[in-house]
Amino acid sequence: MDAATAEAELRRTQRVLYEAGLVGVPWPREHGGQGGTLVQQAIVQQELARAGVPTLINHIGLGMCGPTVIAHGSDDQRRRYLLRLLRADDVWCQLFSEPAAGSDLAALRTTAVRYGDDWVVNGQKVWTTLAHVADHGILLARTDPERPKHAGLTMFVVDLHAPGVTVRPLRQMIGSAGFNEVFFDDVRIPDSERLGEPGEGWPVALTTLMNERVAIGGAGSDLGVPVETLVAHARQRLPQLDPDRQVLARQAVGRAVVASLATRYTGYRRFTELSRGGLPGPEASAGKLAGTAAAKLVADAGVRLLGDDAVHAATGEGDETWQRSQGFLPGLAIAGGTDQVLRNILGERVLGLPPEPRVDKSAPYAGGAR
Amino acid sequence: MNVDLGPDQRDAAAGARDFYRGSAPPAAAREALEGGAVAPGGKALADIGFLGMTVPEAAGGAGGSLLDLAVVAEQGGAVLAGPSLVTAARAAVLLADAPDLAAQLADGSAAFAVVDGPVTGSSPSIDAAGATLFLGLDDGALVVGEGEATPGRPLDATRGLASVRLTSRRVLAEDAGQLWARARQAAAVVLAAEDLGAADAAVQMAVGYAQQREAFGRRIGSYQAVKHMLVDAWVGVDQLRSLVWWAAWAADAAPDELPLAASAAEALAAEVLERAAETCIQVHGGIGFTWEHDAHLYWRRAKVDRLLLGDAAEHLDAVARLAVAGALG
Repeated sequence: MDAATAEAELRRTQRVLYEAGLVGVPWPREHGGQGGTLVQQAIVQQELARAGVPTLINHIGLGMCGPTVIAHGSDDQRRRYLLRLLRADDVWCQLFSEPAAGSDLAALRTTAVRYGDDWVVNGQKVWTTLAHVADHGILLARTDPERPKHAGLTMFVVDLHAPGVTVRPLRQMIGSAGFNEVFFDDVRIPDSERLGEPGEGWPVALTTLMNERVAIGGAGSDLGVPVETLVAHARQRLPQLDPDRQVLARQAVGRAVVASLATRYTGYRRFTELSRGGLPGPEASAGKLAGTAAAKLVADAGVRLLGDDAVHAATGEGDETWQRSQGFLPGLAIAGGTDQVLRNILGERVLGLPPEPRVDKSAPYAGGAR
Repeated sequence: MNVDLGPDQRDAAAGARDFYRGSAPPAAAREALEGGAVAPGGKALADIGFLGMTVPEAAGGAGGSLLDLAVVAEQGGAVLAGPSLVTAARAAVLLADAPDLAAQLADGSAAFAVVDGPVTGSSPSIDAAGATLFLGLDDGALVVGEGEATPGRPLDATRGLASVRLTSRRVLAEDAGQLWARARQAAAVVLAAEDLGAADAAVQMAVGYAQQREAFGRRIGSYQAVKHMLVDAWVGVDQLRSLVWWAAWAADAAPDELPLAASAAEALAAEVLERAAETCIQVHGGIGFTWEHDAHLYWRRAKVDRLLLGDAAEHLDAVARLAVAGALG
């Protein structure tokens, strides 16, 4: 199947699932969702995973961009975008990170300058998942370099098909192209596509990032390979190992199962709190941090069970499940908040520890604070 | 899939916190190392109803669930209380068909200990040092009797560990292997709950210090090297709480899940409490290495508990075997 056919198939899958009431479970009904809870969403996701349904093509739109439009968009934007997003008529991406602004996102350089009713955007984004198939993105840009770095940002909805937008796929370390660089050369965005007030881009971005950590940090399904897959793998492979190796392999499997279940039930606890009306708090970062650690244990146990095949990129039969998962995990510990940034958030906002001094926090961005 | 405590359990936890804080300062664990009594002691625990929480009402208990007991045990763990509610949970399962003895457990008129290993010379068993009646497994039969307890030199005196030789024995049930295993799983859950409380307390103590103590001109909690260590310890506590609640819930609501859940909780508890206690000492620096500071009391609890009722390697092996045998569904 070529890439275009595969993309069309994924869009169709999401549309069919939406029409069956299985997409946008926790979204409000007035915006086309099912008005359900995160717990119900987790149940649906587990069942979809069990049925072998691939990740929804619009997972970034559903988990991050859509909730941001719901929270900060105009009525007109919500009406134009949300239903099409749910049906995968439009695929969305998140245009935040830049070559010089990763963990330090507020240091970003892409500019949007106002001319009449339009803003003109110049700059570059990077590590943008799905940009190569996306129709729209939410774009964080600098609109006032005279203000301190967090205060000079504004969020927009951008049309990825607009003149001046160039998307170049990036090859990941395991060889596949999963994310992109996106270049903006004099791209015009109407002011009606602004999300929130000028200069309010940072709080809008925090809405996106908190939703991202809820979405990544345990949607009732495991990050990486599901632990049930590891257990089935162990059932088949353990008897093929010599008895001494079996003892060691069972330790690795046991450790992976414990970590996965602990992360899963912690996710259920968080969802239970959110389903009773709470807002996603900084605790969600713990789900992503622990989920990444659990995924590493699962991948490591899976690879070890392969015996001699573990030194190759696939088994003799061509199965690359475990090697691919192992190669995907270094990215998981970076994307959506590095392990280190998540620890800072948890330390400062959950444990109440003092922040490190930030010398550039209150200086004007243009004054050299970059 | 909803995972939360009910309002009654939240109230019970709050009440237990007040009780334990008022009756069992961690300092008592230090005094116990020098021959003092453990606090709050068996009589106080019987009087407030904790020893009989999972004993049926007909036998003078509260007829509560293991989750009810676990949320109380967490609060006992936080102050390193003794005796342990592990024994209360385990004996209540073993005495399900012996209401007279269960009544003595609940009202404290007998001090029970459950002994592992041969009843002619058991493994070091929890709260055996002060017990008056012992439960053991002898040739597949559940027996009760009096005995001689021989304590070792205590590493954590709050655990009352002693080897036991039964001097009398009466058979309560033949072929009690399955009952024994279920009681041991309930015990593992409550041990994990006590470890959860201890680990949480150790992390909070360390966080409190890191918020105050200054070095190189700022508070040490601002340094990422310190902050990240504390976060990792806290995340472990947060994760452990989920497994403890699940395992305790499973004991009554989904007994098929209990063997795997209990071993998972116990394996994680050993690791999480050890990390919390070691982090607590490290963050305190030199003061944390003194006899007068409470940090080593939590460290002692960690170093002992990680070996009780099976170590982490044994429980990880059990988790893997049970999962491969189909326990995850």
